[in-house]
Amino acid sequence: MVKLVGLVPLFPLIGFLINGFFGKKLSKGLSGTIASVAVLASFVVSLLLFFDAQHLPGHKAEVSLFGWISADTLDIPFEFLIDPLSSWFLLIITGIGFLIHVYSTGYMHDDEGFQRFFTYLNLFVFFMLLLVLGNNYLIMFVGWEGVGLCSYLLIGFWFKNTDYNNAAKKAFIINRIGDLGFLLGIILIFISFGSITYGQVFEKAGIVNESVITTIALLLFIGAMGKSAQIPLYTWLPDAMAGPTPVSALIHAATMVTAGIYMIVRSNVFYSISEVAAEVVAIVGVATALFAATIGLLQNDIKKILAYSTVSQLGLMFLGLGVGAYSSSVFHVTTHAFFKALLFLGAGSVIHAMGGEQDIRKMGGLKGKIKVTFITMFIGTIAISGIPPFSGFFSKDEILAHVYEHSPVLWFFGMVTSMLTAFYMFRMLYVTFWGTFRGTHEQAHHLHESPSSMTIPLIVLAALSVIGGALGLPEFWGMPNWMHHHLDPILYRKSVSMLSHETEWMLMGLAVVAAAAIIFFAHQLFVKNRVLPEANEAKLKPWQKLIANKYYVDEFYTAIIQKPLDMIALAFHKFFEIQLIDGIVNGVGNSVKGIGSVIRLVQNGNIGMYIISMVLGIILIFLTLFIL
Amino acid sequence: MLSLFIVSGLGVLAMLAEIFKFKKYVFPIVLGGLIGALGALYMEWQTPKSYALFDNMIVFDKMALAFSGVIIVTAFFWFIFANDYFEEESNVVDHTALVLFALTGALMLTAFKNMTTLFLGVEIMSIPLYVLAASKKRYLASNEAGFKYLIMGSFASGFLLFGIALIYGATGSFDIAEIRQYLTDNAGTVPSFFIAGVVMMLVAMLFKVSAAPFHFWAPDVYQGAPTVITALMSTIVKTAAFIAILKLFMIGFSGAATVWSGVLAAVIALSLIIANFTAAVQSNVKRMLAYSSISHAAFMLMVVLANVRSNASVSGILYYSLAYSIGSIAAFTVFYNVSRNGNETVEGFNGLAKRNPLLAACMTVAMLSLAGIPVTSGFFAKYFVFTTLIGTEYKWLLILAVLTSAVGVYYYFKIIIAMYFKNAETTEPVFFETSNKLVVIITTLITLIIGFIPDVITGLFVY
Repeated sequence: MVKLVGLVPLFPLIGFLINGFFGKKLSKGLSGTIASVAVLASFVVSLLLFFDAQHLPGHKAEVSLFGWISADTLDIPFEFLIDPLSSWFLLIITGIGFLIHVYSTGYMHDDEGFQRFFTYLNLFVFFMLLLVLGNNYLIMFVGWEGVGLCSYLLIGFWFKNTDYNNAAKKAFIINRIGDLGFLLGIILIFISFGSITYGQVFEKAGIVNESVITTIALLLFIGAMGKSAQIPLYTWLPDAMAGPTPVSALIHAATMVTAGIYMIVRSNVFYSISEVAAEVVAIVGVATALFAATIGLLQNDIKKILAYSTVSQLGLMFLGLGVGAYSSSVFHVTTHAFFKALLFLGAGSVIHAMGGEQDIRKMGGLKGKIKVTFITMFIGTIAISGIPPFSGFFSKDEILAHVYEHSPVLWFFGMVTSMLTAFYMFRMLYVTFWGTFRGTHEQAHHLHESPSSMTIPLIVLAALSVIGGALGLPEFWGMPNWMHHHLDPILYRKSVSMLSHETEWMLMGLAVVAAAAIIFFAHQLFVKNRVLPEANEAKLKPWQKLIANKYYVDEFYTAIIQKPLDMIALAFHKFFEIQLIDGIVNGVGNSVKGIGSVIRLVQNGNIGMYIISMVLGIILIFLTLFIL
Repeated sequence: MLSLFIVSGLGVLAMLAEIFKFKKYVFPIVLGGLIGALGALYMEWQTPKSYALFDNMIVFDKMALAFSGVIIVTAFFWFIFANDYFEEESNVVDHTALVLFALTGALMLTAFKNMTTLFLGVEIMSIPLYVLAASKKRYLASNEAGFKYLIMGSFASGFLLFGIALIYGATGSFDIAEIRQYLTDNAGTVPSFFIAGVVMMLVAMLFKVSAAPFHFWAPDVYQGAPTVITALMSTIVKTAAFIAILKLFMIGFSGAATVWSGVLAAVIALSLIIANFTAAVQSNVKRMLAYSSISHAAFMLMVVLANVRSNASVSGILYYSLAYSIGSIAAFTVFYNVSRNGNETVEGFNGLAKRNPLLAACMTVAMLSLAGIPVTSGFFAKYFVFTTLIGTEYKWLLILAVLTSAVGVYYYFKIIIAMYFKNAETTEPVFFETSNKLVVIITTLITLIIGFIPDVITGLFVY
């Protein structure tokens, strides 16, 4: 059965090839069906693999497809690895991927680039599967770069808009910084271990110098910072919302951005050995979580709110990783994939109903107009806010409990983050769905529920968001934490909670009470008192202005990195490029021509001249051979 | 061995066609005969023995068979490409016969084991070419080309003969294996007139492959001769003369390498510089291709210079000659058709991509191959030469070769740029005969296939 693992990425690849080469000739229906069925087929195989993998010896299997790179001591086979981690990620990617494909057939229906969209989307799924399936860091890197490429292509999907293209470029360039770190990490792994195959690396991790391990772990984390949008490399993700909404849901919420989490869980050996690296991960995580959550408070673009929320939630996951709660983070990746995909798709449905409007200040009172969207989004919002028994509650609580055990200070910031999350999410929900409609007359007339191809994925995801918590019920409730046991085999150091049950109950209770209080406050503010986000930026208080402008981080980067780089580039352009390099190049070219035209003169068509030159040549040879 | 008989028999048959009035059938007979010759080569290839003729004066071993294969395959495509040249002229059969006799000489050069057969091969190959170069009787340039070629060629033949005589005087033998033995037996005590003989033969053979400074005839002759004859000279003739050098120096005179390797290195360096730099300023495409062929000759000579008798070097050079011949045939075929209106300059290619996209693409592949850009066979051809030379003391030559190749890229790309980025005055499609189209497409495919899988050629035989 595990031999079939090659099929998992093969189906989306075939879908990509069909849509890529023949898309223009296919009808939209056929094109969308092919792409969706390809991902569905992968999902079915993944499901079979997942259950099969439970019975494997050592819970894992390496499947060698072909010899890939072999040079001197470097031997990298093209191998896939099926283990609890990769088989779980396969399910998330193909399962949610399929739902989002179906949703896209409705959402993108009137777009002229329909086939192109599905081509990219299938390609993305292919690379994402490669990323999690590879049995060595290089295959992961190939997938890593591949999803980056697809992300770039999809952010700039509407390439006629310059802003969107700039957003795509920004995502690509910032990711390059992270990728460089990742690549250096891989090279250092190869130098230190003589291999980049997971199994061979991890079993030797204990005997390698700890400072080397720390360096490797930090370099890999730089890669994760880029891909998973952590401080300081997070600025691309909010801009990435330029892409079509299903892309935001699939790539920039549910799957690609969690690649960094996957990578660190995969390499958990390093972070278990190097406490320094783990500490860095935790601190960057909590800082990002808090920072992004505050920005989320004052955003007015429905997708931007969700984007900052994603950055913040990813930070929470990294916080979990940093304190060694690997299975809790994977659990949160899973539930987050459910409710964040749901929220994005819901937002897409709202935008669809509003005829492209994304500003929540121009919405309002939508709850009666688009009921399915409203109810599902309501569920998603409750889930992310951490209200039991919805899925987000369990996963977030598990992470925070581990954090508390590690450091109450970090826990406090985590707690504040989750309160802020509840606030801005309900702010979005209330402003969008309650109150009176504030859009134009045409929009009001146009308001309609989305087609069933869009609402069905919403309903499925809503159901998952409700029950997803069952994957990891708290152990102190006397319930089995399935996720915890599932991932145990791949962890270097198992995390065991030392907290007393009383403390855990206390933490949980505190979280619920805080969330409920925040929601009540938001309700008072936005529903009772009908406070609306300030439309006029000039009237904002200074601290609000600071937040609304995202702390001017983009401007800061522009000032300290982009501008100086531009200036250096300009100087190089003016001096080295034009004067030096062009000078040399043109000089060489001109001298070639010059020499050529001189030599050409000898070739004057006079046969006597030719013979003389030949004879002179021969005489010269004889002279050098016999006399000199 | 059979192929040699078949080709010379075809030549005789072609002459009889005039008398017995089956002129119309000459062309199919020749093509059929060439396929037959190829089949004969294949059969002989399958048997492990060598075929010797005339008391070891001609020996068809694996190497001879392989290079004969390259020559006959090239000839086959050449005949299809050149068929309307024969139709234009009044005396079809004479020309066909002359080409076939030149081919006979070329085949002899792949198989000679004796300096008499070497000389015979060179002359049998050259004399028809003097006539063919002048075959456009009403054109002054063609007459001039033939005349120049004759004078310069006889001059070189004189050197060759004189060199052979001197060597015979020293060794008492014409057989190259015996000369090799003589050199090992008398290492260090060879008389100076033997060395003089070696140098004179080297000069004569360098003339035949048009290496600088013995290349002066080439641009004038290539430009003046009819295009199809130029194609013949720069592919088949060049390959044959090159194999003769390879056998003569790597087998016969290998022991005296100290004498000739310095000269050869200087000649290669000079050829690389002169050929590439002059080609860069040519506007006439035929002339440019002539200089390009000098540059390629210099590349092939590097293998002789490395003086390494190994499987890698011999199969590398086999690959080079095939890649170069096939690429040149494609380039000449496209050029021949593009220049039908008399415009032989690069401007003639302007806008070809719009007028005939398929052939423009094929021409691009040919140019990339000649320039040595990867995935085309030209890249691996150069790569094999470089790997052979890298183990020797002539690394400086390698650097020079790479640098001058970069200049080469310039003039090959001039044509690509003209085809794709310049606008033609007309947008009418260029007329291409179906047979010519086929030649271009098939040779392009071969260029790409052996570029993707070089093993099909390099894995052919173990030297």
